[in-house]
Amino acid sequence: MKEQIKSWLEQGTVDVFLGYREVDHHPIPWCFTQEAIEEVDDLVVSPARYSLEKIATHMAAEDPDIRIGMLARDCNNRALNVLYVWNQLRPEQVVTVEANCCPSPLKEHADCSYLEPGTVGAYKKAVGIDNHLRLEAVEAYGPEEGRNRWMYEFQKCIKCYGCRNICPVCFCRECSLDHDDLVGTGPLLPDIPIFHLVRAVHMAGRCIDCGLCEDACPMDIPLRLLYQKVNRIAMDLFDYRTGTSGDQPPFSILGDRVTLEPKPIQPVTGAEA
Amino acid sequence: MECKLVPSVCSYCGTGCGVLFEVINNKIVGTLPMKTHPVNEGKLCIKGWNLHEHVNSILRLKQPLVKTFGRFMKTDWDEAIQLTADRFKEIIAKHGPDSIGVLVSAKITNEENYLAQKLARAVIGTNNVDHCARL
Repeated sequence: MKEQIKSWLEQGTVDVFLGYREVDHHPIPWCFTQEAIEEVDDLVVSPARYSLEKIATHMAAEDPDIRIGMLARDCNNRALNVLYVWNQLRPEQVVTVEANCCPSPLKEHADCSYLEPGTVGAYKKAVGIDNHLRLEAVEAYGPEEGRNRWMYEFQKCIKCYGCRNICPVCFCRECSLDHDDLVGTGPLLPDIPIFHLVRAVHMAGRCIDCGLCEDACPMDIPLRLLYQKVNRIAMDLFDYRTGTSGDQPPFSILGDRVTLEPKPIQPVTGAEA
Repeated sequence: MECKLVPSVCSYCGTGCGVLFEVINNKIVGTLPMKTHPVNEGKLCIKGWNLHEHVNSILRLKQPLVKTFGRFMKTDWDEAIQLTADRFKEIIAKHGPDSIGVLVSAKITNEENYLAQKLARAVIGTNNVDHCARL
């Protein structure tokens, strides 16, 4: 792998290569270049995940013609696909080296910062939502209990905006969460549940389920489940699989073409959660 | 294109969260929490997330200002320190050393805080030392 990266840098296939390097025993994202090619020997596949593709978009914003090599897990690849779809990066300017992936029902023997599920306390299990539940189990709570449990999770929010800031597919210059007319930006608590739901709506057809938001959340709000829910809707209604589909999501109003087809509104049965 | 992620410690409070500054072409463009840092374990509060903003802020003070006839005038450090020392001497001579208090900060290091209390006790001669973390 290191030889491959070195040859890419030497031949100018890529201008920079984004990987990880240990600095004082902390694996941190490192930008390898041709000038300091000997550093490639120190490249590590860090178990701690950072959003390398977000750093890549920042570099591409400075220099649109830059060619970037990147260490990529599955989640990085999905994020890259979304960024291509939204014209934040061009597929021809990015080359990836595959790295081992997170443990999941599909890939049990894998490594990443999701290695060990954190312990969930009894109180959170009783009144909130266990972050490690499957979406079906959360939906089984039903509208009323589900609402109460979600509100318990939302009211813990300290509004650090970490979920948005760390998100590899959040790139808007103007964010709805910063907009006083949409979401109150001032006091704590934030406007709940609207703060979280505005973000959830924007994640439909965008979230690639990398889990970085939940990793970064100081209050352990099960954000991943929330965005899985909105993405499930995109999949059920439009057969849109975020991160693997090459088209704009059905909810896009920007871009080349609006693909959202009007459909009759389904009658609502029972109270909505 | 130069891109570096520079490990650092958040300067906003005494907790000491590990952060990474995203530096592109010698300009800090973003702050990330350090995932492997034992203090914050990849999490940050809103202040930490926006650390880079005060570095690049146009409102940032880069040199000392002296209030002259009700207006702040730019000056250099030598003059500012001399002026402060002269005024301190005047005040101490007139009202005694306990008329002066020293407020230190979590934004500076332990060692700097130590030096500040040393200055207060040994040079100014007062025990009026307090810290913003003692809320």
